[in-house]
Amino acid sequence: MIAVLGLVVGVVAGLLVRPEVPAVVEPYLPIAVVAALDAVFGGLRAMLDGIFDDKVFVVSFLSNVVVAALIVFLGDKLGVGAQLSTGVVVVLGIRIFSNAAAIRRHIFRA
Amino acid sequence: MGTEETPGGENRSRELPAEVQGPPPAEPVRPAEDAAPEQDEQHQDPDGKAPRSGRQRLAEGLWPPRVTRPQLIVALLLFVLGLGLAIQVRSNNDSSALRGARQEDLVRILDELDDRTQRLEGEKQRLEDQRTGLENSSDQAEEARKQTVEKERQLGILAGTVAAQGPGITLTIDDKKGSVEADMLLDAIQELRAAGAEAIQINDVRVVANTYLSDTDSGGVRVDGRKVGKPYRFKVIGKPQDLEPALNIPGGVVQTLEKEQATVTVARAEKIVVDALRAAKRPDYARSSSQ
Repeated sequence: MIAVLGLVVGVVAGLLVRPEVPAVVEPYLPIAVVAALDAVFGGLRAMLDGIFDDKVFVVSFLSNVVVAALIVFLGDKLGVGAQLSTGVVVVLGIRIFSNAAAIRRHIFRA
Repeated sequence: MGTEETPGGENRSRELPAEVQGPPPAEPVRPAEDAAPEQDEQHQDPDGKAPRSGRQRLAEGLWPPRVTRPQLIVALLLFVLGLGLAIQVRSNNDSSALRGARQEDLVRILDELDDRTQRLEGEKQRLEDQRTGLENSSDQAEEARKQTVEKERQLGILAGTVAAQGPGITLTIDDKKGSVEADMLLDAIQELRAAGAEAIQINDVRVVANTYLSDTDSGGVRVDGRKVGKPYRFKVIGKPQDLEPALNIPGGVVQTLEKEQATVTVARAEKIVVDALRAAKRPDYARSSSQ
């Protein structure tokens, strides 16, 4: 419940405060958000499976974000940034969908 | 997503005890879960109860709210996620599509903008040239119109179709004996013209280029076919200092007329008004050849 509250508070704060994102980080923000979403879905699934561990969640969350941003950064440097970010989004999307399927089976038993 | 699932999870947790026995459906998919890195730890249940279903765990996590370390950590991370989400959504809605655009896209957009700017600059230049041309031509038309009006006025004075005023002299010839004839008046007119007279009027007849004078049988004079009464009053516009000596030179107009027993007076005036008019006559045959 506290976690859900945290998400809500974060969204509201982002909409209200309108913080300025540094220009260096800006291109990686969408990818980082998608990666974080993937980590959250993974964490939710793990919780439903009964194997949730906060330490693992924190590490996976941060590493997901960092690795996704790193891949896009590398792609930008190599000149294939657009393609690589598409690839990252596709992979993360597939994982989100498979995790969502597992969560669905837990909750709806179907 | 958590907010959406909250009511569903709660509702289902109420009816859950009836079907606790059901096999945990998560089992078949568990091997495929290598994507989620949270599988190294097997248990987080603090109490060693019987294994519960995913729904139960979700319901427990959601209600009642417990302030535990994992909850706080997850809340912190989710806060960060929500923040990033909101920022990203807002910056996408910000209508500044350029924010977060890639370098090559920006270069392309910049090129397009440069091209467009050049095109528009060219068009602007063309339109400004056109405007300058139009302004010049309208200026010229206005100038030509002014000159035409001015010229019309000058020609009107010459042709006698407009009134004129200016410095000049009045020449009065009082012919008591009736000895003054048309040729003497014509001599006076020629002398005045030679001295630079610009507009002449005898009594109420304007003297112009094609004015003619003739004697009448009764000893008077006709100007342009109209009989003018005595005394003959010339109103002349011109330079008085030129006109008066021209009439008074020895053997000139004044002396000749005085020889004929006529009384001649010449008076300078600062303002002479020549207001006798002639109708403009359209020539029947002659046409302007300047067009």
